[in-house]
Amino acid sequence: MAALPFELAPAIAALPFVSFLIALLVGAFAPRLLPKGGAIPGILATAGSLVLSVWAAVAVWNHPDGMYHDSITWVAGVGDAAFDLQFGILLDPLSTMMLVIVSLVAVLVHVFSLGYMNDEGETGLPRYYAGLGLFTASMLSFVFASNLLMAFMFFELVGLCSWLLIGFWFREPGPPSAAKKAFLVTRFGDYFFLVGVVGVFATFGTTAFVGSESFPILADQVLAGEGASVTTFLGLDPQAWFSVLGLLILGGVIGKSAQFPLHTWLPDAMEGPTPVSALIHAATMVAAGVYLVARIYGFYALLPQVMALIALVGGFTALFAATMGVVKREIKQVLAYSTISQYGYMMLGLGAGGYVAATFHLMTHAFFKALLFLGAGSVIIAMHHNENMWDMGGLKEKMPVTYYAFLSGSLALAGIVPFSGFWSKDEVLYEALVHGLESPILLAAYAMGLLAVFFTGFYTFRMVFLTFHGKPRTDTARDPHAVGWNVKVPLVVLGTLAAVAGLVNMVPVAEVTGIHLEFLHDWLDAGPEALTAHHYADLIPYASGEIGSPLLTVLLSAGVSLGLALSGAGAAWLLYDVPEPIRHTDRLGRVKTVLFNNYYQDEFQVWLANGVTLPLARVADKFDQGVIDGVVNGVSSVSLFSGGRIKRIQTGVVSNYAFLLTMGLVVLLVFIGVTGGWF
Amino acid sequence: MVPIEYYLLLSAAVFCIGVFGILTRKNALLFLMSVELLLNAANINLVAFSRFHGNLTGQTFSLFTLALAAAEVAIGIGIILVLYRNFADVDVTKATTMRW
Repeated sequence: MAALPFELAPAIAALPFVSFLIALLVGAFAPRLLPKGGAIPGILATAGSLVLSVWAAVAVWNHPDGMYHDSITWVAGVGDAAFDLQFGILLDPLSTMMLVIVSLVAVLVHVFSLGYMNDEGETGLPRYYAGLGLFTASMLSFVFASNLLMAFMFFELVGLCSWLLIGFWFREPGPPSAAKKAFLVTRFGDYFFLVGVVGVFATFGTTAFVGSESFPILADQVLAGEGASVTTFLGLDPQAWFSVLGLLILGGVIGKSAQFPLHTWLPDAMEGPTPVSALIHAATMVAAGVYLVARIYGFYALLPQVMALIALVGGFTALFAATMGVVKREIKQVLAYSTISQYGYMMLGLGAGGYVAATFHLMTHAFFKALLFLGAGSVIIAMHHNENMWDMGGLKEKMPVTYYAFLSGSLALAGIVPFSGFWSKDEVLYEALVHGLESPILLAAYAMGLLAVFFTGFYTFRMVFLTFHGKPRTDTARDPHAVGWNVKVPLVVLGTLAAVAGLVNMVPVAEVTGIHLEFLHDWLDAGPEALTAHHYADLIPYASGEIGSPLLTVLLSAGVSLGLALSGAGAAWLLYDVPEPIRHTDRLGRVKTVLFNNYYQDEFQVWLANGVTLPLARVADKFDQGVIDGVVNGVSSVSLFSGGRIKRIQTGVVSNYAFLLTMGLVVLLVFIGVTGGWF
Repeated sequence: MVPIEYYLLLSAAVFCIGVFGILTRKNALLFLMSVELLLNAANINLVAFSRFHGNLTGQTFSLFTLALAAAEVAIGIGIILVLYRNFADVDVTKATTMRW
């Protein structure tokens, strides 16, 4: 008999699902009965999930095994090499931490939606809250999934919810198109993920995350040559085949976490309502990809080539997206590119062997990015839904709560000490540096990540100064719309968290002073043996280097990244913290045009579709219509023609039939006679 | 005793007359008569072999064949009646409407 919080774990996902059903059914049949268009059931359900998640986290911490795992079989295998398909709940330090983050952000976003959607007189609110409820339920189920197949199913469901919510304002031209793009681009990655799931089943016969029969453990045993045997395909040896599987699953991760080259959907997804951007496209759903890698880190840590690729993609995406964020005009676009960039850091951390660092950044980013999006939402309410930063300015005096919360989030995003983003980003870069000193590929990824720190500081404070400082540049900015308590409360909560969440894992301070401050590390080490940070640290295929001494390395890494962040922020301060800022990025000339058009990535993808895929499809169509269908149609016309001729022997005259019968008999007799030797 | 070959020759002759009738005539009633000849040719064979082998099995079977022939005539006359109603004739070569 498991403890009560574990018994109640299914309710963590079931509560938001109930709120989804309420918003959907009551909203469809009796909308007058639904308080606030479904917001109240949503808030209550997500608050319940939050309480249960915190309770489960406490229970996991106190449990001797450090985890809870239970599953049911929904399809039993048949035959010799059978495997069962299971639904299960896995509560360990990583998943409960993520449950708390997701449900906390979900509660705050629901509250914020009262201000952003209800008070603004939007229609279709039950649909909106139904979407949020279904999303929260799916995301929470994804987080506590105990096997890869279940994770995949909920991975798809969150994608569906993302599509529903981006396209919320479906009567305008932009949102439906953006929703389709997001759906298709992420689905392109998910296709690889699906093949990977099937591959893992075929290889290991299981997709479980935990236990002695889980696939990361089996893979470890196979590579160590310890008896366990698996089926590999394409004639590859286990190491190479596991790398193929790892890359296939990584396809889903790159699509969902908006990494290069599948990042193009995320900026367009900003067409959705801003609370949706905060919940789905910043704090939680986009984190699903990174979370998946962390979840099966025991598998990835065995594959050095895949790890190096993850680090390179992450480092490149961090820099690539940050440069685009520098020139954007709309506040949400800047945040979208910064989201892509920050997820790049997490991938860099994971690829560089910094499991704790990446998880830490995942947590702090969820807080400060949700905060920034909600802050942007507050600004957008005040500006009557004008998102252009060049029409703002001087909002600092008019909306102080939003300003200080936003500033806290911006300091965290830019990585200024002591805000949360500094500690986590610094740890990611530190891991990349110490492992990169022994591996040139990682060092390249580190260099890109480090350079991106400067751009992050610059675009973050360009956004802050353009929005809140200087003189108001339009009439709307001179007389902004007031925002209510339901907007301010989530901002204050997240603003506080963005400032202090980094204190749970102050590695540099711990290194310098010797005081034990690495609480997140302890937390992630509390789980079952095979899922601990300690175990992963043993598995990763990298050696650690240092510059001078360990202490010097830590200080140098932290100092360089802080210096770059400060110089970026300082540059923005010099250029944009003036009463009448001008468009300094115009001086970049053609570089700005390229950046403003997102390196022509969208055009490139359209060209890929129109210029490469379409002709290819045409050729395939020709082959299909001509050769394949030609053979089939040929067979049928030959039968039809010969049938038309042969049917003529059916005259309908009885005498003819009798004649044929008689002749047949005669021929038979002659034949038997000749072969039987009568003549 | 008459040798069995004589009976067999008689039987074959009767059978050939029956087949000739079926192949050359158009009248459905003549068809029925020709079929009777075919059946009786078989009967002659059965009886002849029955006598040749000295048991009564063949003769018993020929009685069955006679009963069968009676039943066949009953059905055949019925078919001919319908044929006449529909085509106002008993010519079997006219009834070709169900071919294709």
